[in-house]
Amino acid sequence: MVAEIFHFQEQHWHLSPQRAIFWEEEKALILSDLHLGKAAHFRKAGIAVPAGIVQEDLFRLQQLITHYLPDRIIIVGDMFHSRENNEVQYFKLWRQQFSRISFDLVKGNHDIMADAVYEQLQINVHPALTLRNIHFIHEPCEDNNGFAYTFSGHLHPAFVMHGAGRQRLRLPCFYFGRHCGILPAFGHFTGSANLDPEERDPVFVIAGKSIIRAQ
Amino acid sequence: MQQRSGGWKVINNWLGEKELKPFKFQEDAWKAYLQGKSGIVNAPTGFGKTFSLFLGAVIAWIDAHPKDYTHKTKNGLQLLWITPLRALAKDLGRAMESALQELNVPWQVGIRSGDTPVATRAAQKKQMPEVLIITPESLHLLLAQKEYPSVFKHLHTVVVDEWHELIGSKRGVMVELGLSRLRGLRQDQLKVWGISATIGNLDEALEVLLGPYHSDGLIIRAKLKKNIALKSVIPHEIENYPWAGHLGIKMLPQSLPIINDSQTTLIFTNTRSQSELWYQALLREDPMLAGALALHHGSIDMELRIWVEEALHNGILKAVVCTASLDLGVDFRPVDSVIQVGSPKGVARFLQRAGRSGHQPGAISKIFFLPTHALELVEAAALKAAMEQDLIESRMPVLLAYDVLLQYLMTLAVSDGFHGNEIWEEVRHTFCYQHITEDDWQWLLSFLTTGGEALGSYDEFKKVEREGNFYICRSRMMAMRHRLHIGTIVSDAMLKVKFMSGGYIGVIEEGFISRLSPGDSFTLAGRNLEFILIKDMTVLVRKSNSKRSIVPSYQGGRIPLSSNLGRMLREKFNEALSRNTKDPELIALQPLFNLQEELSHIPKANELLIEQIATKDGYHLFVYPFEGRLVHEVMAALLAYRISRIQPITFSIAMNDYGFELLSDQPIPLTAENAKQLFSTENLLMELQTSVNATEMARRKFRDIAVIAGLIFQGYPGKHKANRHLQSSASLLFNVFKDYDPQNLLLKQAFNEAFFYQMEEARLRETLERIAVSRIVITTPQKLTPFCFPIKVDSLRDTMTSEKLEDRIKKLITVNG
Repeated sequence: MVAEIFHFQEQHWHLSPQRAIFWEEEKALILSDLHLGKAAHFRKAGIAVPAGIVQEDLFRLQQLITHYLPDRIIIVGDMFHSRENNEVQYFKLWRQQFSRISFDLVKGNHDIMADAVYEQLQINVHPALTLRNIHFIHEPCEDNNGFAYTFSGHLHPAFVMHGAGRQRLRLPCFYFGRHCGILPAFGHFTGSANLDPEERDPVFVIAGKSIIRAQ
Repeated sequence: MQQRSGGWKVINNWLGEKELKPFKFQEDAWKAYLQGKSGIVNAPTGFGKTFSLFLGAVIAWIDAHPKDYTHKTKNGLQLLWITPLRALAKDLGRAMESALQELNVPWQVGIRSGDTPVATRAAQKKQMPEVLIITPESLHLLLAQKEYPSVFKHLHTVVVDEWHELIGSKRGVMVELGLSRLRGLRQDQLKVWGISATIGNLDEALEVLLGPYHSDGLIIRAKLKKNIALKSVIPHEIENYPWAGHLGIKMLPQSLPIINDSQTTLIFTNTRSQSELWYQALLREDPMLAGALALHHGSIDMELRIWVEEALHNGILKAVVCTASLDLGVDFRPVDSVIQVGSPKGVARFLQRAGRSGHQPGAISKIFFLPTHALELVEAAALKAAMEQDLIESRMPVLLAYDVLLQYLMTLAVSDGFHGNEIWEEVRHTFCYQHITEDDWQWLLSFLTTGGEALGSYDEFKKVEREGNFYICRSRMMAMRHRLHIGTIVSDAMLKVKFMSGGYIGVIEEGFISRLSPGDSFTLAGRNLEFILIKDMTVLVRKSNSKRSIVPSYQGGRIPLSSNLGRMLREKFNEALSRNTKDPELIALQPLFNLQEELSHIPKANELLIEQIATKDGYHLFVYPFEGRLVHEVMAALLAYRISRIQPITFSIAMNDYGFELLSDQPIPLTAENAKQLFSTENLLMELQTSVNATEMARRKFRDIAVIAGLIFQGYPGKHKANRHLQSSASLLFNVFKDYDPQNLLLKQAFNEAFFYQMEEARLRETLERIAVSRIVITTPQKLTPFCFPIKVDSLRDTMTSEKLEDRIKKLITVNG
């Protein structure tokens, strides 16, 4: 796995092909749209999706944590998919190994569990979060909101490239818009939507084990 | 037998009063039926095939109750009549009822389909009619009811109508499973009969219907031939007629004289979007048709469709533009002409459509073939020849459809529950599941009870409960959801379309609507509509006055050419080349052939033509095997793979029914020297598996599978929002199964369907063997030829690459930058 270090807004952003950003100056790992508990939610309703997805997603997060040794983890919304279920309990066990790292969740439209549950899981919940004038909010903003820059999730962005001989390729991506950057969905049991970026805005696609700047 | 049967005499007298005489095949069928046999009646539409079986059951009834058959009522369900189309049920029911009335037999005839009102269903539950006409889906719904066996207590006969329509599809599998349960309930008491038009594999159709272990079924053939007159509508100026296209609007003015000279005309198009366009264009061309012209396709509101069918029946309409939705059954006596727009792609389908006109015994069916692009005229000539030689396609039965079996087991689980051993015996005696293994069976049961491989104790999967070897679903919520779900064989989510002010128009694919913005106009059911918003799975619209509107394209509209027709096509090209043909179509096309010959070459039957052309798009390689789109798709991928091993290269691939195209950004290293090797059958199976984008094909197949197996949550009516957290696309499910549960049988089924049904490996092998003994002709035309043009402009595209992902991205970036 090779991360791409992107110098932007006078900060260093490590874009990891494992679908997260490490913010060097803040020692923070940033990710979005985990949708933990989604598979269990389906299975509870009699829809037999595979049961092992949550382990894989959390194993990836574990690898990121042991690699970057962050002080905090910022989740830009949709950390959990729906109501509480046993996968949430699985997370609780998993969480114990990283008890000194703080988890900051910026609430997304899927984060609907009771406050007490987040408390038990040692997750700090925020409607939005701002550090060094960098703003974090789940749903992307279109206009300048007064902060230096904003990071969002929600869209599960993918980028489509076209070339000679009518070739076409579609990959998940990090997008840096004029005012707002959008993170790829971290969870594997999530779909993606095509992004229609402005021509000059940076886009980094996740190509297997590497990150490539596509525009 | 005739002498001894009192019932037979009653029927003969009745017919005699109407100055009618039974056909020989009807008497054969009655005789076989009275002997207690099962089998298939093979007869064309319009010759009383219904009565060949229905009256058989009536004769047997009169024989069994000679004294009191005229007043014996409330006898319970005797005869179950399965029909593929709801639209057919009404017509059938009427015909049966009037016969019963005239015969003085007080049987009730009921209809059970998605449209049957709740009150009627409840009444049927109290007292079943003696005859029940039902769709395969509704039969399964009956099996999903508590205490369903009591419904079938007196059942002795099942007739499957239009069996040729069902056999090649998963609805056919639903029939097989339904029959297996009814046989289990009624044992030797049950007689099963099919009614089928002629297909290439009628013997196999019998085996599928009766099960592979049944040995004394028989086929009763009506030796009646329908007279069909095929006439091509030849463009006035063939030189100016487009080389490509699939709409045929340019030819529309030439269809008006046909409509005017006929009493009623059916205009068959191949896709729903095309039918919408034709409807609009016809009204523009001849405003006098307003009020006498109607539109009929599968996305139009059921009520409107029924109205159109009734109006056709009563001779009110001058013409109807339709799709395969009117292929089947119903007797439209006033129809005396049929226009087929574009190639029907198969002989059987063409015959069926032709048969929609001249529905009376002995009448001539008139069908006009209207080409949508120039080369299609050759297909008309090929169709004519194929019809003369009776080259009718086979319908391949579906094998090991795990998705349908899962749905069926759930159906039994929500009604009375089922015993594993009993159902296992019934299922493995069907044709579809004759090769199912015990491991597969156990996997299916565990998929329903534990959700497949459960990991650890924190799993909360819930669906079917297991009690020893007894399986039952005790959740009322899930039972309700399953009943709503039975019969959803449609894959893409369809949304209802309604006016803002109320009033239902039809349904439309979600994928199409998602590309529209509010304010855009589109066409449905012949109306221009402005899209306002989507709310609760319903698209709200208002009337639009916009001149420009988008016509929705529907998936699955493209039907591939059958191999029979492909062979005929190659022969016709050969004939055209000889320049002494008598076919008016080929004579008309002579200027086009001359141009093709001048620019490139016309392949003889023992030749394979390859054209290499460079344009500003890149380097094109066109190959013409004339084997149909599906075979071409696979062959193109195989060729691309083999070339890509010579050097790293990326292709985009396109195909139509005549040939395929490889397009690359660099010259394609195919030469006279290596061509034969590139088409060899060596290592075919292994290279197929690596070359064809089997994953993508399987992903497409998985859409249906996921829906049928109950993995796609469709929500409850009116309760859409609350369940949004259970929404997931089939493509996403496919990904997670592939990554986390690669042994999943549904996934395996998707790959099997891709290999066997789509890739048609056997047919591909035959084609390659043919090429091996053919002469390969490579030309390098300076411009696009009449052959290659339609492929280039009018096709679906795929990609095949041997370059590294990173390299491809970098190349794409450089090109765009």
